[in-house]
Amino acid sequence: MNGQQEFENRIAKVRQAMRDKGLQTLLVFDSGRHNFLRMNYVAYLTDFIGVGPEAVLVLPLDNDPVLYLSPAWDIDRAQEESWVKNVQPFENFWNLLSKGVGKAGLIGREAMHVDLHDEIVKALNQAPVNAKDIIENIARRKSGFELERLRQAAIIADAGVQALHEEAHVGLKEFELAAIVEYRMRFLGAEDNFGMVVASNHNQALHPPTDRVVQSGDIIIGEITPCIGGLFVQICRTMVLGQPAPVVHEKYAILQKAMGLGMGAAKTGAPASDVAAAINGTLGDAGYEKYCRPPFMRVRGHGLGCGSSAPGNLEDGNQTKLEEGMTFIIHPNQYIPETGYMTLGDTVVMTQSKAEPMTRSSWDIFVKE
Amino acid sequence: MIFGRHSVLKRGCSTWDKQAMPQEEFQARLDAVRREMARQNLDALVIYGDNYSFADLCYLTNYFPKVRGGIGVVPCNGPISLLLNIGSRDVPFAKSLTWVEDVRASGQVGRDGAELLKEKGLAQAKVGLVDSGKGFPLPQLEEMKGSLPQIEWIYSHLLIQQMRLQKSARELAALRRAGRVLNEICDGARDFIKQGRKEYEIIADIDRLARDKGVEDIRILAGEKRLQPPSSKMSAKVGTHWAIYLTIQHDRYWVETGRTHILSGDAKLQTAYQKAQEIVAKMATQLKPGRPVATIDETARKQLGEFYAIASIYGLGNGVGLSQWEPPFLSEDEARQVGSPSVGAAVLNENMTVALRVTFETEGKLILFGDSFQVTAKGPVSLLG
Repeated sequence: MNGQQEFENRIAKVRQAMRDKGLQTLLVFDSGRHNFLRMNYVAYLTDFIGVGPEAVLVLPLDNDPVLYLSPAWDIDRAQEESWVKNVQPFENFWNLLSKGVGKAGLIGREAMHVDLHDEIVKALNQAPVNAKDIIENIARRKSGFELERLRQAAIIADAGVQALHEEAHVGLKEFELAAIVEYRMRFLGAEDNFGMVVASNHNQALHPPTDRVVQSGDIIIGEITPCIGGLFVQICRTMVLGQPAPVVHEKYAILQKAMGLGMGAAKTGAPASDVAAAINGTLGDAGYEKYCRPPFMRVRGHGLGCGSSAPGNLEDGNQTKLEEGMTFIIHPNQYIPETGYMTLGDTVVMTQSKAEPMTRSSWDIFVKE
Repeated sequence: MIFGRHSVLKRGCSTWDKQAMPQEEFQARLDAVRREMARQNLDALVIYGDNYSFADLCYLTNYFPKVRGGIGVVPCNGPISLLLNIGSRDVPFAKSLTWVEDVRASGQVGRDGAELLKEKGLAQAKVGLVDSGKGFPLPQLEEMKGSLPQIEWIYSHLLIQQMRLQKSARELAALRRAGRVLNEICDGARDFIKQGRKEYEIIADIDRLARDKGVEDIRILAGEKRLQPPSSKMSAKVGTHWAIYLTIQHDRYWVETGRTHILSGDAKLQTAYQKAQEIVAKMATQLKPGRPVATIDETARKQLGEFYAIASIYGLGNGVGLSQWEPPFLSEDEARQVGSPSVGAAVLNENMTVALRVTFETEGKLILFGDSFQVTAKGPVSLLG
């Protein structure tokens, strides 16, 4: 399916949902802060990632959609990159509202400032219905079009891990380690990266890099998340500079076992909590139950997407059923008192029956002499 | 106004140089903020910040959010608190970036923010809300306000922003350090910008250079005919001409430049680029204490003539500091584009810091030049050295 067909397919589904809800117009907002923690619904429906503070896609039931955008200088790019061809300056949005749009739904409220919301309510003379579920429901299963991009991002994520293996060495600063990964992935076309790479002989947690100088014996942990076409893929891996103490291998094996059991628990139709239970159970059996709870750990993975983060967090109590086409990371990252924090995780896609990893790097701890 | 593509995570070097920016600097700022709170009869401030817009929060705490947002609660007396949308295991790292001792993790800043205000005895207080970056997510704000029906909320978005206008000696030192780093990046970038290379490969090289120099964040916009952010769709190869806008955050402070790389040696384009530099220099001559901010724009109009409208498409400049876009704004329109109710300052004062830029098209190519300056009694001083 090409981009235009994909767009038409999504719009058709959205319009059906609008009819079901009795909505005449949908206002879809984004504030130019693309992220996998908060969905970018405008990008989902347009394939365009804005940079300015306002992007509103107005989708009427019958007429063509219009994208209202700031800054105006980005309109040409939007017209070239977006599936929506009618792109106008954001100022024109107010003219449209003043003419009346019928019963309106609003998506992207989470990214909206109260002042803008108030102005919209005033201009519409109505409070638009929160219609987030329309896109969340449509986007929960990734299409072939999305999976193609995710696979491309997964290849880049693996390349980021490979770069770290090749170039990490004693004497670098943490931020230089992170830059190694970033560079390889950007060179391959990654648009953005939720990337943390840190090193210590006893890591407390993942965090953005500091200026600490890497020492022999350091455990390097990484959470690497390149973005392609608005979609992020995450991978978590651990490496050691110099031969690690036997306890590191011993404890890392628990993470590998937990990862395997977590993957096994990710069955189509099973609740997301099953994955967390399998991972927490493995770590609990190894004597680390208390370390599976805050302040040490909480979630065992999370959804990744642009229009929906389903199935949400892999944690106790999440009864969301895993569905074919959902994509999420499973990461039994864990603080262990004997070794510190270690990381292991893959992005997976749900097939008809089970989770299939998208990233390919070895689960083994990588030792670099 | 110029916007780059916002990054999902502040993933550059994250440290606090306590020698360069000691706690006493923040105590002085806190004292000044509290004096203003007293003048306005405010019992407390709630300051929102996120990784997109952290200036007000960072000004008092030195903390800048990495991903999601958070609030600082500043009562008129007693300790201040940070409530951050982070995991509890992330609190020790967050504390390494701030002098604030009470740092709390929360998955629901609205709900937990309300509890924090109640805990501090502020459930019936007059509270100033500071959100000059307009980032406080609507549902969270609604939840916080809904849980505190007896609080009198006062929009105080400009309270701290005004204090940030004139930079302290330590801030100016930080801005000059950032400027020197940016200058080195600009110099290094020349080696990467070669005909036939893919645009995103060049951007990868420049990004690496910047990150290896310890920047906290970076924005790059580039192109032959227009500026655009890095994208997987941006696979074009560079020809003989490439304009690049580059801004970095280093030790919390932003500085920016604009440069045009004319690889053909085309004389007309070289002349046009020279002209752009001259216009920015002319605009910069207005950067003296006591001059109306509007004279910068007026100078640009005079210099650019009929090309003014095109030249100002990306904005002709704005204040820089803890924010990429802060007062003084050169016009009401530019202020409005970043959600600011006014230009913030009608008259320039010593030690304001301002980025200036000019763009126009010649021979179908984009010409861009920009620089960042400090306002001094002797005139403009480039922060890039």
